[in-house]
Amino acid sequence: MGQVAHYLEAKGFSTVTLTNTPEFHRQVGIPRVAAIEYPYGRPVGQVHDQNGQRQVLMAALSVLEDATEPGQVVHLPFTWPEEPKKTDWQPPEISPIIKLNLDEIKKLGAEARKKKVSPH
Amino acid sequence: MAETSKIVDGFLFMPPALRAWISKDIPEQPFSGQIPWTPLGKSIRETTFSLITTAGISMRSDPPFDMEREKDEPAWGDPSYREIPKTATERDIEVSHLHINTTHIKQDINVMLPLTRFQEFEQQGLIGKLAPTCYSYYGFQLDPTALLDETMPKVADRMRHENVEAVLLTPA
Repeated sequence: MGQVAHYLEAKGFSTVTLTNTPEFHRQVGIPRVAAIEYPYGRPVGQVHDQNGQRQVLMAALSVLEDATEPGQVVHLPFTWPEEPKKTDWQPPEISPIIKLNLDEIKKLGAEARKKKVSPH
Repeated sequence: MAETSKIVDGFLFMPPALRAWISKDIPEQPFSGQIPWTPLGKSIRETTFSLITTAGISMRSDPPFDMEREKDEPAWGDPSYREIPKTATERDIEVSHLHINTTHIKQDINVMLPLTRFQEFEQQGLIGKLAPTCYSYYGFQLDPTALLDETMPKVADRMRHENVEAVLLTPA
């Protein structure tokens, strides 16, 4: 999405990206970032929560209106009401690219857990 | 808006293994390259908007995004796009995505592509206008060449034709 934002800005459109993963900004440099700590696939809010969705969108539009230079990241203050594990954002089947890399992913997971137990 | 001390953790909802795998390609340092920039230069109350999501949303009357080829070629993602009229609702759409649960979007399109909310903003004068056409492409693009060279020029042309000035991007 960062590259699409680049493309649009270069063509004369102002953009704001409402993203669950602002970390990607370090990789691609997103023009205006409204970061939201909501599950993947629901950056605007919960199903049928009209009021909550409006608040998130108006906050994202404030980022669009107020940003004065490229690369600004605003972390929105909203908190998702469910435990992360209970958000049910994952697809019913493991995605093809993850299936293909499953051994490596499991290895990295084991390393990450080890690091957590004995930090250096 | 008010200052906030929250720092969003983009991997909060991810299992640790997946977090480790995805974040290994993200640099620790801030981005240091050039970022293109078009200042808005006016109030959102006078601005014409369009919306773009990466969620793989298509109208039922259009062909859905190609998920079958990705199952055979896991590094390939459909680089095409679909136009979504501003009046579309969840009843009018298909959602094709192999990396997220699409159920919530099928229950309420606004969680991903907030068409209804933006129409309300337009009616209430909070924004200038929502353009007649919004867009979806498919976010899994390890090689974005086709998306940027073939798809985006068509999207930009259409947006220009509809006098779009600003775009809300909602990656899935």
